[in-house]
Amino acid sequence: MLGKLDWSAIPFDQPIPLVAGAVVLVAILAVLIWVVVKGHLPYLWREWITSVDHKRIGVMYILLASVMLLRGGSDAIMMRIQQAVAYQSQGYLPPEHYNQIFSAHGTIMIFFVAMPFVIGLMNLIVPLQLGVRDVAFPTLNSVGFWLTATGALLVNISLVVGEFARTGWLAFPPLSELSYSPGVGVDYYAWSLQISGVGTLLAGINLVTTVLKLRTKGMNYLRMPMFCWTTLASNLLIVAAFPILTATLAMLLLDRYLGFHFFTNEAGGNVMMFMNLIWAWGHPEVYILVLPAFGIFSEVVSTFSGKALFGYRSMVLATMAICVISFMVWLHHFFTMGAGPDVNAIFGIASMIIAVPTGVKIYNWLFTMYGGRIRFATPMLWAVGFMVTFIIGGLTGVLVAVPPADFMLHNSMFLVAHFHNVIIGGVLFGAFAGFEYWFPKAFGFRLDERWGKAAFWFTFLGFYVTFMPLYIVGMLGMTRRMQHYDVAAWRPWMIVAAVGMAVLTIGVICQIMQLVVSIRNREALRDRTGDPWDGRSLEWATSSPPPVFNFAFHPDVRGEDAYWAMKAHARQQSFEHEVPEYQDIEMPRNSPTGFVCAFFATIMGFALIWHIWWMVILGGIGAFATFVVFAWRDHDEYVIPAEEVARIDRVNLEERRSLVSMAGAV
Amino acid sequence: MSDEMHLTAHHDLAPGEEEQHSVGERILGYVVGLALALLLTATSFFIAGTDLVWQPSIPVALIVLAIAQMGVHLVFFLHITTGPDNTNNVLALAFGLLIVFLVVGGTVWIMAHLNANMPPMDQIMRMQ
Repeated sequence: MLGKLDWSAIPFDQPIPLVAGAVVLVAILAVLIWVVVKGHLPYLWREWITSVDHKRIGVMYILLASVMLLRGGSDAIMMRIQQAVAYQSQGYLPPEHYNQIFSAHGTIMIFFVAMPFVIGLMNLIVPLQLGVRDVAFPTLNSVGFWLTATGALLVNISLVVGEFARTGWLAFPPLSELSYSPGVGVDYYAWSLQISGVGTLLAGINLVTTVLKLRTKGMNYLRMPMFCWTTLASNLLIVAAFPILTATLAMLLLDRYLGFHFFTNEAGGNVMMFMNLIWAWGHPEVYILVLPAFGIFSEVVSTFSGKALFGYRSMVLATMAICVISFMVWLHHFFTMGAGPDVNAIFGIASMIIAVPTGVKIYNWLFTMYGGRIRFATPMLWAVGFMVTFIIGGLTGVLVAVPPADFMLHNSMFLVAHFHNVIIGGVLFGAFAGFEYWFPKAFGFRLDERWGKAAFWFTFLGFYVTFMPLYIVGMLGMTRRMQHYDVAAWRPWMIVAAVGMAVLTIGVICQIMQLVVSIRNREALRDRTGDPWDGRSLEWATSSPPPVFNFAFHPDVRGEDAYWAMKAHARQQSFEHEVPEYQDIEMPRNSPTGFVCAFFATIMGFALIWHIWWMVILGGIGAFATFVVFAWRDHDEYVIPAEEVARIDRVNLEERRSLVSMAGAV
Repeated sequence: MSDEMHLTAHHDLAPGEEEQHSVGERILGYVVGLALALLLTATSFFIAGTDLVWQPSIPVALIVLAIAQMGVHLVFFLHITTGPDNTNNVLALAFGLLIVFLVVGGTVWIMAHLNANMPPMDQIMRMQ
């Protein structure tokens, strides 16, 4: 009846996951009860859960990423403490639990923190920057988000029901095959990634189409803000690379469920093929994450230097070059697998070549700052912190791209330090910069600068104290994923790294405090102009938060930095006081399709993991029925009457006029 | 929403909105495509089983017929043309082909080198 599921799935003998799970469960129940008792449920359902508004979906993506960042961060804290204490002892985490923690940490941080964070920011901002009213496929967008949430939910269920994979974040066979991992851990891993992978693919298709097909009047490709370009490149990579991940995991699942032999040791399976395929996805994936971050830094550096981006066209070229070359370097993740000098040399050289466009970008940001009037607001601090940190990470990356050096450093703590250096220093700093920069746009009030700066400095210093020692222990020969060790020389560095982790934790607490303090003081921090940073691109041309239709009129773009040009024009001529003629606007109706679809996908995923076949069929039929109902609906749009548009827009126009006249007076 | 679609460029329309031909003309296109696809499929089956042609040419013939089949599908069913309204589709196709070429070609190359450098144990024993 319930497949492999019975009471032994709950780890009653392991207090840590059980207590953690209980605390989370109580917290979720408390929030749910509070929501229901206070009567917020209809509002949440109407305005958020069923919303197809790209801004709302973007915010929900970022919320999901933030919650999962806390989960992945707790895993990191546990690992750092374990390695600090497990010198000539077993530490406090038994091996099977420690292995689950490092696997969950990697999986969560990449798939459920970094990915939703950058996709959320792209969703929130790209349509605004393009000057349009929504993304190309609004309901698909909602489906994509909720499927990602399903994946995250399944990973977290594994904390208390069953176990998670003990195989590392990429589940290499033969360890991940049934003979070595008979439990449900790898199944949790694979099914949650399959389901959220569909969501990511939908988001990718949606954003590519949005950038290619929906641009306002005069917004040529070479007038798009840099963030739109990096969004295009990153989502092209999603569309090209994620099917590889899906196919690879599907083959692994066939091995596990139906006795196939794609990646087994025996019967003609080829383990190396898994490494090859998973990294053919895995390397583009790191550029999927970091390209949007590059876009965010371009926007932030240019805004806070008060200058147009230096070398815009070279930046576009560098972005698209990275987009293609990122598909030519994947072997550098397995130089040591034995492909020989010819293959290793070619991929080593390709890996060094891809550092060139990245270097071009760094110089462009530096030259943008050069001679600018720089304001060191919190987003700019993250951007400068990124440049310093990312150069170190990039250089150690070029070092491990040299095959002979890689034979020494492969799977060492040096590698761990390197990829944390580029992912934290690149993607996470970028996500935080974007969060600080665009928060006023999304919610209509600024974030508290004091707590923001404190969060930056603690995170920045904490990062160095945590990860620089890992480079050193890597040089001293420490391999990654060690549950305990007996080498005295490593010990002091592991303790330093644990101290660094504490500093990083203070940074995270500052970030939470910033949010709490800012929400409390939101009236004082209110942004009425819609343009709190003196921005350059079109998202600042509408109010904060933007109305549901984003723009009452499609902005007419006449060059790069569209909004900057409009402001300059308005200052010279003052605003012409003609009354524009408002028109009715059609917007897509909200739809529960995404949420219902994800509900059934969750049931199906859970049932597949535990081999509950009748439930699999139930979930599958439910998801398909949802699709059919959606496909046959009649009314998919509603009309906002012209008077309503006029009423909303006039308020914004008044604020903006007074701002310009004030600036004119100065 | 639909007004936006027409904003960026008049000739750059979403799929399904593109052609304003008459129904008869469109049906004719699909029928021709179907006939060509069936013809190519039938030829493939015929070639694969026949001994009327020089045997080693059969795999090459099958590859050529398969590529022709893809071409027929792209032109008649997916409506890929060289017109200015199709730039995005052609570029997407080119990008897709490039990625497939890189991933499949790279994989074959890598795996061939791996197999040469790391043969199974009994083969290594025989070499010594």
